[in-house]
Amino acid sequence: MEQKLRQEAKALLEQNKVDWIIGFEPGSLKFTATPLITRDKDDTGRLVINPFIFNNLADFLTGIKGRVGIVAKGCDSRSIVSLIQDNKVVREDVVILAVPCPGLIDLVKVEKLVGKDRDELDDITREGDKIIVTVEGKKKEFATTQVLFDHCLACELPTPQEYDILLGEVRSPAPNVEVSGENIKKLKGSVPEQRWEFWENEFSRCIRCYACRNACPACFCQRCFVEETEPQWVMPVPRWQDNLIFQIVRNIHVAGRCTDCGECERVCPVNIPLRSLTREMYGIVDELFSFKSGMDKEALPLMAHYEQEEAEDLFR
Amino acid sequence: MANKKVSRQDIAGLLEQWSQQFSVFVPSKESGVAAMTEWDGQDTSFLDWYRNTVVPSKASFLPPMEEMFHFQKGEEGYNIEPPPKTERGQLLFGIRPCDARAMAILDMTFEQALEDPYYLAKRNNAVLVGLGCTNPYESCFCTSMGTSPTESADVDLMLIDICGEFLIEEVTDKGKELIAKTNGLKEAAKDDEAKAKQSKKTAYDRVTRKLDTEGIKDRLLASFDDEGFWEKTAAKCISCGICTLLCPTCFCFDINDEMVKKEGTRFRSWDSCGFPLYSKMPMENPRQEKWRRVRQKVCHKYEFYPMTFDVIACTGCGRCIRLCPVNWDITRVIESVPTKTGVKK
Repeated sequence: MEQKLRQEAKALLEQNKVDWIIGFEPGSLKFTATPLITRDKDDTGRLVINPFIFNNLADFLTGIKGRVGIVAKGCDSRSIVSLIQDNKVVREDVVILAVPCPGLIDLVKVEKLVGKDRDELDDITREGDKIIVTVEGKKKEFATTQVLFDHCLACELPTPQEYDILLGEVRSPAPNVEVSGENIKKLKGSVPEQRWEFWENEFSRCIRCYACRNACPACFCQRCFVEETEPQWVMPVPRWQDNLIFQIVRNIHVAGRCTDCGECERVCPVNIPLRSLTREMYGIVDELFSFKSGMDKEALPLMAHYEQEEAEDLFR
Repeated sequence: MANKKVSRQDIAGLLEQWSQQFSVFVPSKESGVAAMTEWDGQDTSFLDWYRNTVVPSKASFLPPMEEMFHFQKGEEGYNIEPPPKTERGQLLFGIRPCDARAMAILDMTFEQALEDPYYLAKRNNAVLVGLGCTNPYESCFCTSMGTSPTESADVDLMLIDICGEFLIEEVTDKGKELIAKTNGLKEAAKDDEAKAKQSKKTAYDRVTRKLDTEGIKDRLLASFDDEGFWEKTAAKCISCGICTLLCPTCFCFDINDEMVKKEGTRFRSWDSCGFPLYSKMPMENPRQEKWRRVRQKVCHKYEFYPMTFDVIACTGCGRCIRLCPVNWDITRVIESVPTKTGVKK
């Protein structure tokens, strides 16, 4: 798959079909990959596909000028399609290099299972349905369901539906793996006061780095409402109330655009379980509007259009 | 005078004694993220898991947010009400040498260049008790930045792990006074000193990431206008604030007033040069493009700070590498800064 990707990416640049290639190259730490954004065909030899290609690369599309060849997992492709729906990306300007994705490995889960930090592990490999972690020379075997990200276990589209070049065999979603995470289940089972207390606790440590927003392809506003100073919608001071307001408004803004790629939660440096909010919103959108974002590029963007018959009296 | 030592199980007793005089802070994950947290009077389990905190110790003196003062609009102007003073000093137990060096670097700005009363009120009556690293991260590169996993220069007391016990190095007068008042410590034997020496060497050798900073100030000066280099360097950065806000030497802050009717509060909170809003002025933003903001971050640490204070404002703690969402690695960036002749190293 990697060899084919390198050849295709190189050819795209050589034949002047794209100006840029966006993919992944090996990262500087163990079990990392890092985004590679390049116009240089010689760089394409460094492109990789592995279980650590975490970033949603669609995030870079809105900040780049020219035609782009982009490596896309299922979730990335849904974000690309969502951006096309919103007229943020022109379909003809992207060449989607589709990666059928068997799921990404959540290093936090691995760390918890083996009781070691990621940099203390010798190796992590995938063998079919098993993930083999080597620690101090000893091999430990885990089921993929134990170590893949929650959002990967709940993935509805492992292989992009919208693509130009397919880099492997089409993968179907794993059956019956609707894992919404323990956290959401627990929260849904608790009373509002408990939930309020829970989120107060979580958002008390938010430092307002905005990594959740900046890693999110659906957060494409030129200027975020938190940066407005006249009027000032929310204080830039990281008080839990302001932090929570920021995140709630962000969630509402990405409703119908969020593809449940899980990046917001993964990048959070202070471990706030943000996907508990985004996943719930994703479910609500599906329930109320039978809409799954990023599945059909011809579909109108959910929150940017309305039909008369769905209007309530209040808005008519 | 021979050094003292303390065994692992006696650490709780030690902290208990120090709690009489100070508010004792230890590494904890209680809040949901590893940070210096007020000691609960019992838990010393951090001795097992602690490598370094995610939130750097600067937060003890320059907190993520603080109230500078309250104000009320009166008949003739504003009445200012300073926040209540806390008399009790903080004792930070377990600060790592990289973070302690960062405090020395911050002192240059908040004490030498100007006197910042908010910072100094907390900093001046604090005690830093260092804990030498035994297990540095893959991302750590302190030995390239003029410090080491067991460096004692920037703390009041330094504890070195000697298998189940800690040798206590008394560094400053403040540290010596504290030890003189502390009961239950044992005298270290010659053998303990040898063990400490070995422990230091082992830790030093475990820092495998290296960074050659030779001539970096001049290389950055010469490359300042190399737009192509900076654009390439900044390409994958997503302009979040992780690497700056959680950097132990980054100190930029924002000031905001919150006013309801006739009274309000002035807050100071962490800010980041990575944010476009940081440099936004009424008509113009000199750092609108991402590459200009990335350049500012790199140059402030490796060019401007050395020009002003003759020290690089980076201690090699590795947080910016470990925590970066896109694995933007400062050591790779510094290595790739073109030399004067334009040839990249």
